[in-house]
Amino acid sequence: MMTSLYRITVIGRNTLTEAVRQKVLSVLLIFALVLVGSSVLVSEIAGGLDASSLFEQQIKFVKDFGCGAIGLFGFAIALLSTAQLIPQELHNRTIYTILAKPVRRSEFLLGKFFGIVLLLALCVALMSLAFAAALYWQEQLGLAAVDAADTQIPNWQQNPTLVSQYHNDVAQIYQQVRDPQLIEAILLLFMKLVMTTGIALLISTFASSSIFTIVTTFMIYLIGHMESTAREFWLARGAEMSIWQSGLVGFISLLIPDMNSFTIVDEILAGNHVPWSHALNLLGYANAYLIVLLAVSIIIFDYREL
Amino acid sequence: MTEPYFPIGKLVGIAEIGRMESSAPLFAVETTGLTKRYPLTWKRKVLVALDHLNLQIRSGEVFGLLGPNGSGKSTTLKLLLGLIVPSEGEARVFGLPPDSLDARRRVGFLPENPYFYGFLTGDETLRFYGKLCGVAGAALDRRVEELIELVGLQNGRERPLRSYSKGMLQRIGLAQALIHDPDLLFLDEPTAGVDPLGSAQIRDLILRLKKMGKTVIFSSHLLEQVQEVADRVAIFSLGKKVLEGSLESLLTERQSTQIHIAAELSTEQEAKLRQALGQAGLDSAAIQFQRPQLSLEQLYLRTVQAQSEAAAKGAPKP
Ligand SMILES: Nc1ncnc2c1ncn2[C@@H]1O[C@H](COP(=O)(O)OP(=O)(O)O)[C@@H](O)[C@H]1O
Ligand SMILES: [Mg+2]
Repeated sequence: MMTSLYRITVIGRNTLTEAVRQKVLSVLLIFALVLVGSSVLVSEIAGGLDASSLFEQQIKFVKDFGCGAIGLFGFAIALLSTAQLIPQELHNRTIYTILAKPVRRSEFLLGKFFGIVLLLALCVALMSLAFAAALYWQEQLGLAAVDAADTQIPNWQQNPTLVSQYHNDVAQIYQQVRDPQLIEAILLLFMKLVMTTGIALLISTFASSSIFTIVTTFMIYLIGHMESTAREFWLARGAEMSIWQSGLVGFISLLIPDMNSFTIVDEILAGNHVPWSHALNLLGYANAYLIVLLAVSIIIFDYREL
Repeated sequence: MTEPYFPIGKLVGIAEIGRMESSAPLFAVETTGLTKRYPLTWKRKVLVALDHLNLQIRSGEVFGLLGPNGSGKSTTLKLLLGLIVPSEGEARVFGLPPDSLDARRRVGFLPENPYFYGFLTGDETLRFYGKLCGVAGAALDRRVEELIELVGLQNGRERPLRSYSKGMLQRIGLAQALIHDPDLLFLDEPTAGVDPLGSAQIRDLILRLKKMGKTVIFSSHLLEQVQEVADRVAIFSLGKKVLEGSLESLLTERQSTQIHIAAELSTEQEAKLRQALGQAGLDSAAIQFQRPQLSLEQLYLRTVQAQSEAAAKGAPKP
């Protein structure tokens, strides 16, 4: 058991090393540039408006954009690097060199999976850092704007109304920028990326090319997003639904994870409070789904002719 | 770090030891009716890559698999490693199923045209495969040093494998196959694409492994080399084993005898010898005197080795 875990770690670390040395992380430079660029741009557009409402919009934009970009870049990295894992090992026949050692096929597969999960964790952490930096910069801009607006009147410190106005504005900026729910949002985004990896890995255990894996995963991803909407639509029609239709909907929702449940990230970004318990529930659902995905992957991979 | 195959503790009684020894597998490798078929286009036809192979290889033997391309040599090795599943028949490695971890702990494999992770350096490659075999810590450090030395890759330790030449890849491949000190080695065309000097070194290495008591099973189509190292060979054709035996029995020509004299004979001496042999009752027409010739390979190796030794001593090149 311990030696099995050890081998999985060794393979996982090697997978991460490969991605890092193949310069996957340099994609994140583009991310940082895009984020900084957009952040600068939005502050210039909003230059002339009055402080508080302008600032709220500005921050909202940076948050939306930051989370959106983390999701998008993470999705690209997860999908592309998972899809070529197995085909590349087969093509170079490096897989033979590993499986000729005392390594189970399941350990190989899990090692590869955790390697990508590590890679995603690293990428999301780095992107979050850039995101935090962009937010910090916005905060400084906001504080400067408050300074400029509230402290122009001479002797404003003697005026209790002005003082409380100032403290109010500063507190509001802190509240908008330093939103602890962002951590929740990023955690959910990460989980969604891990799910994507799990799906792509499962498909790649029987796919004959990485293109097939990419296209199929992408389709499942889209269906996963539309699924709950479709289900609600069917359910709304109530009695009209035939056994076939309800069977089909049930089958699809069993087969394809409900990616739409992750849209609570949008709720968070819209400023609505999403309790941690809800997020944890979702993480639990995702983990259960992942275990099934991995188990099926292992079974298929065990029977695959190499 | 290799565990003894039979972990005989102090508590095991004599009778029990006797029983365990009698159940010890007789052969390092044994196959019965081992067959591999590949379905071809639309499953209308099958390709028989290996056809009912029966093979028994004892521990400590050096066994050569010979045969043209596509005759089933690599397929045999992959089956013996559990990398592919037989369509029919059975293979045993030290009496164990080939895909069991216990069997694979005791075997090392050098694949055909080996390719490893191009982003790892030579050192990292050996460490990676060592860890997969459960070698770690100081034992791993020591093993890596030994093997780098053994295969002569000192200049490749810090270089990524993507910059390796074919010969260097074969060497690192051999080193990783040996990392866990296996008892049995499968080498699939270990000298393919290696220059004559390198391939002579690989041949010497196989001989050294044999002296250490390892079993080596290798495939090759360089017949001269096989002849120099193998105890026994099997010749494959179209997936079938068509001939098998010890080199001695296969190659000895019963109708002739050679006498080796480590000196040049004068015409006079030759005449006397002929006379003596005639007196021994031999027909003079059946007696031939020849100067043995160096093979081109021997000449090449002598020249290149002398040159590289001179270069190592810092002598000026001619
Ligand atoms: N994965 C495979 N699918 C279909 N045919 C294969 C496969 N692997 C090997 N073969 C065929 O099996 C036969 C034996 O191959 P192999 O054992 O590699 O030969 P050798 O190593 O003696 O050159 C060849 O005809 C080869 O084309
Ligand atoms: Mg071959």
